[in-house]
Amino acid sequence: MFSYLFRRALTLLLVLLGLAILIFIIARIVPGDPARIALGPLATAEQVAEMRQEMGLDDSFLIQLWSYLSGLAQGDLGKSLLTSRPVMDDILGALPATFELVLFTIILQIVISIPLGVIAAIYRNTWVDNLLRIVSLIGVVTPGFVLAIILQLVAAYYLGFLPVTGRLEGGIDFSADITGLLLIDGTLKGRFDVVLDAMRHLILPASALAAAGIGQVMRITRTAMIEVSSRDFVEASRAYGIPERVVTFRYMLRVASVAPLTILGLEFASLIGNAFIVEFVFSWPGIASYGVRTILQKDLNAVIGVVLVSGVFFVVANLTIDMLLGLLDPRHRLRAERDS
Amino acid sequence: MSRILDIKNLSIDFTAYGQTRRVLNDVSMYVDQGERVSLIGQSGSGKTVTMRSIIGTLPMPPGKVESGSINYDGQSLLDLNVQERNRLKGTGISIVLQDPMLSFNPVLTIQRQMDDIVRYSDIRLGRDRSKSDREAHLMDTLRKVRLEEGSRILDSYPMMLSGGMRQRVLIGMALLNRPKLLIADEPGTALDVTTQAEILALLNSLVAEEGLSLLLITHNLGVVREMADRVYVMERGQIVETGTRDEIFEKPEHDYTHKLMSAVPPLYGSKVKTMEYEGLKPTIEINHVSKDFETRGGWLNRVTGDFRAVNDVSLTIQQGDIFGIAGESGSGKTTMAKLILGLTKPTEGQILINKRPISEFAGTQEFRKLIQIVYQNPGSSLNPRRSISEQLEVPLKFTGHNKAQIKTRVGELLDLVDLPQDYASMYPHELSGGQKQRVAIARALSVNPKILVLDEPTSALDVLVQSTVIDLLHRLRGEFNLTYVFISHDLSLMRNFCNRVAVMLRGDVVEEGRVADIFEAPSHAYTRALLSAIPVISDEEAARKPKLKNEERDAVLVTSTALEV
Amino acid sequence: MSIFEDPDAPMRGLSSRQMASYRFRRNPLALIGAFIVFSVVFAAIFAPFLAPSPESAGAFVDFRNRHAPPSWDHPMGTDNVGRDVLSRVIFGYRVSLGLVVGVLGVAVPFGVLLGLVAGYFGGWTETIIMRFTDIMLALPPLAMALAITAVLSPNLINAMIAITLLWWTWHTRLIYRIVKGQMNEDYVEAARVAGASHTHILFRELLPNCFSAVAVKISLDAGFVILFGASLSFLGLGIQPPTPDLGTMVATGSEYMPEMWWQAVMPGFSILYAILGFNLLGDGLRDMMDVEL
Repeated sequence: MFSYLFRRALTLLLVLLGLAILIFIIARIVPGDPARIALGPLATAEQVAEMRQEMGLDDSFLIQLWSYLSGLAQGDLGKSLLTSRPVMDDILGALPATFELVLFTIILQIVISIPLGVIAAIYRNTWVDNLLRIVSLIGVVTPGFVLAIILQLVAAYYLGFLPVTGRLEGGIDFSADITGLLLIDGTLKGRFDVVLDAMRHLILPASALAAAGIGQVMRITRTAMIEVSSRDFVEASRAYGIPERVVTFRYMLRVASVAPLTILGLEFASLIGNAFIVEFVFSWPGIASYGVRTILQKDLNAVIGVVLVSGVFFVVANLTIDMLLGLLDPRHRLRAERDS
Repeated sequence: MSRILDIKNLSIDFTAYGQTRRVLNDVSMYVDQGERVSLIGQSGSGKTVTMRSIIGTLPMPPGKVESGSINYDGQSLLDLNVQERNRLKGTGISIVLQDPMLSFNPVLTIQRQMDDIVRYSDIRLGRDRSKSDREAHLMDTLRKVRLEEGSRILDSYPMMLSGGMRQRVLIGMALLNRPKLLIADEPGTALDVTTQAEILALLNSLVAEEGLSLLLITHNLGVVREMADRVYVMERGQIVETGTRDEIFEKPEHDYTHKLMSAVPPLYGSKVKTMEYEGLKPTIEINHVSKDFETRGGWLNRVTGDFRAVNDVSLTIQQGDIFGIAGESGSGKTTMAKLILGLTKPTEGQILINKRPISEFAGTQEFRKLIQIVYQNPGSSLNPRRSISEQLEVPLKFTGHNKAQIKTRVGELLDLVDLPQDYASMYPHELSGGQKQRVAIARALSVNPKILVLDEPTSALDVLVQSTVIDLLHRLRGEFNLTYVFISHDLSLMRNFCNRVAVMLRGDVVEEGRVADIFEAPSHAYTRALLSAIPVISDEEAARKPKLKNEERDAVLVTSTALEV
Repeated sequence: MSIFEDPDAPMRGLSSRQMASYRFRRNPLALIGAFIVFSVVFAAIFAPFLAPSPESAGAFVDFRNRHAPPSWDHPMGTDNVGRDVLSRVIFGYRVSLGLVVGVLGVAVPFGVLLGLVAGYFGGWTETIIMRFTDIMLALPPLAMALAITAVLSPNLINAMIAITLLWWTWHTRLIYRIVKGQMNEDYVEAARVAGASHTHILFRELLPNCFSAVAVKISLDAGFVILFGASLSFLGLGIQPPTPDLGTMVATGSEYMPEMWWQAVMPGFSILYAILGFNLLGDGLRDMMDVEL
């Protein structure tokens, strides 16, 4: 089992490497002079030349690539062209916020969509199923930003008790220095007012972010469950007298959950993408907001950093899902060992 | 003697696409305690529907019981609600389904699956057994099905066991709660004939030891003869004949039963049709051919070893022969087919066709016009998304025919295999299995080859359809002077169709010669083991089968009780 | 295999087309989806004739009428400079559908071709293509699209390019899986034995089996491309004003929430309407075709 994970990790690391190189190449073929962009249109030629020197833009391609990669290995993402601070610091500062949001969203997605998908499958073609179908449909087709805006509108102006922006009420004095996650650090430090407040702030953005995923995963769970229910071994287990509840969860769900979990992994990239919108609308201080800002300002190094970190997120998420699948389904383990 | 199962005038309808069909029509049958009853029918006869209506797993929205009753031990099953039905499951009626692999939950261990069965029935009956007590019971049951290495098996996942073992474990699972009636759906069909024989023997001894009643559902008359005290014959949703085993086999009355009996190729006796042909001109010469396959594994997909699929095989096939290559799974017969077709190259040795080495001209138009193949499963050898004519055209397109020639030829081909012309625009799913196989044969013949390789061409077909396809093959051979290489595991079929046979075991040819010689006087122990395992339909044949001592059998066969991997 | 499936008795009297259309007709949601898609496409094509105030789609101002709530004259109200929102939405559909055609027209053939080739030829070809696809899949699409349009200048064409560059990967993956599954089937080998060329096998044998999956995916994709494009322009990096674009309309309209809610909500719901249509249609197609052999 561990050798399998190790091998998966290595493969994904190679994917990361390829990603880094790809991003590098894209960044370098993009038209425009990064130095000039950084300095603005009022810079003189000498200033531009100096900047180019500093950024190493006149070195050969391979040297640039090498210094880029070695910098990456040491955790150095270069300096922000605008703030001149190391990009890594900026990103690390913003990361916990996004991480907490994304984690909360995923948990929300799994906890809501899989059980609902199972229910939809059990009661298929009844009003329950149709209702759930409409619900999932709404989640999937509503654009993230529309949902975000509507939620803000409804919660802030009509309900009034859920906050519209930010992570924590300005007045609260608290520093999440253990894990960076407000919910966890707050609990660890016994500050339940922090936990409550953080949760209040999390609900809206997480809902907006989770909606599309919930819709999709719910549908796929339903489809997978229905497909599995027609398989021989399910009929056999019923014929042996195993209670329906056990058949549904131990026999059908374990086999059927492979599909939705796999989709969750693949959709992760979209999730990060949607986070851009949600963080923007809710002024959530995460890397996605940071990303949007730096993109609009054409801060090349920062942009690269953000995209890379997103890629890392994706890779880690998929590795975790692989591990989960390996636990659930021994065939997955054995197949992977045989293939890779 | 109580009546365990009593079905009276059962009629069931099924609705799909707005059309309603009657799938069971006025079916009546019964099973007494301790009896072995067999229900025989071909696909579409309704035998599976019957079985599922007894167990209660028939999906009732598309299906509907129009009339009739099913009584178990005096109780009407159809009147029971879900809970009451459940109480019967496993303790009253138990089943063994057809495909051992599909009957297991692939992600749970055997222990978990078996324990679940016991635990939940305990709960239902109000018993309270500890985990270790239950485990002891599981091991006991495994021993009953002759599996000694209980703990290893319990710890395994289903895919780690061999086919024969899975079948035994399945039977064990069915026995866990001491049912009174065991329903077996085509047991052993997915297995080699030698393994199947073991499983059937096991079932027979269980009936005697445990006092079970057995309802066996099958399409194979030979199995019926070995496994039944009484027989019901089903056709198109109706019981057409019933009687004791001897009555049915010695004095069949209904037309359909007659047809079934005569369609089964006899293994011995006066009804055997021996092909006496002797070819004179060697057309395929296989000289000391061996084929190794690399096994890969490990991280970088490195080559970790060699697997010898074919080992130093030398055969000569004469022009006009119907040459049979017989063997079970893993014998290397399919690899032989691929070697002869030039789809893969021998690791050692050479194959000559009409005195020319294959390596010289495999893959060329000339080669393709010389030798073609018909596959086993018409469901997968025809592209579901292409029309019949489109598929018949393919070999013609690549052997230099123009559009007009192709069109005429397609018409000719359909005639040749007795299919109406308007079938050309249809798609495979609109055709029956036998018709699809005819299309496959037509496709192979389109370029006028001289040699046809037939890879289990009738294994996926019912025995009645099988005989029509075999007749067609005979006719075509006569008309076009063809040579057939016939690969199969069905020895009875080969006895009546081939003139020469080679028997393969794990890559070696263990015996080869004229068909009458091989069958009447088999010299190799494996051939004798194979022949003795075949379920035949008359006492005469059974008496003439070779008898083996256990040591001989063990020497050549891997029994299904040995653990794999 | 369903218990009622008798391998030897074909569905008498029913061609595959009849079975498929029977299923489609019985599926009301699919019909609704088809209707919605039709209405959107129709509106987009005939925009100049359908829009009550076609000049609203351009640089037009009517300050007397600004911020007018929905009425008979202006069913969706007017925006901050007095333009008719409904007309802008109809023209916005033009832009959205143009985006769809542009993106899918390139991404789908490219992706399908790569998937076919990777699945069929195997070996190094397969490894290179699929590893590359894996890497591209790891990139968050929105982030990448944002980055690309930011660095190039934000307009429709660049947005199209950005989206296309990432979109093909999903199709490659899908086709690859289907083809890999087919390679085990006898009919592929039968074609080879018959001497079929690679081109024949790729396009005549393998591709037809991919059609239904691709059709479903295209329908679903259309909705998502619209969503994507709207998200891009919502963040300010897609199509620029005064070209009417639904995403930009939501963005500018959101400034006037909640009093003048129609300026953001109407375009928002229009986007939803279009995506809903494509989604329902895609789902319907999927139900229809998956059950089919």
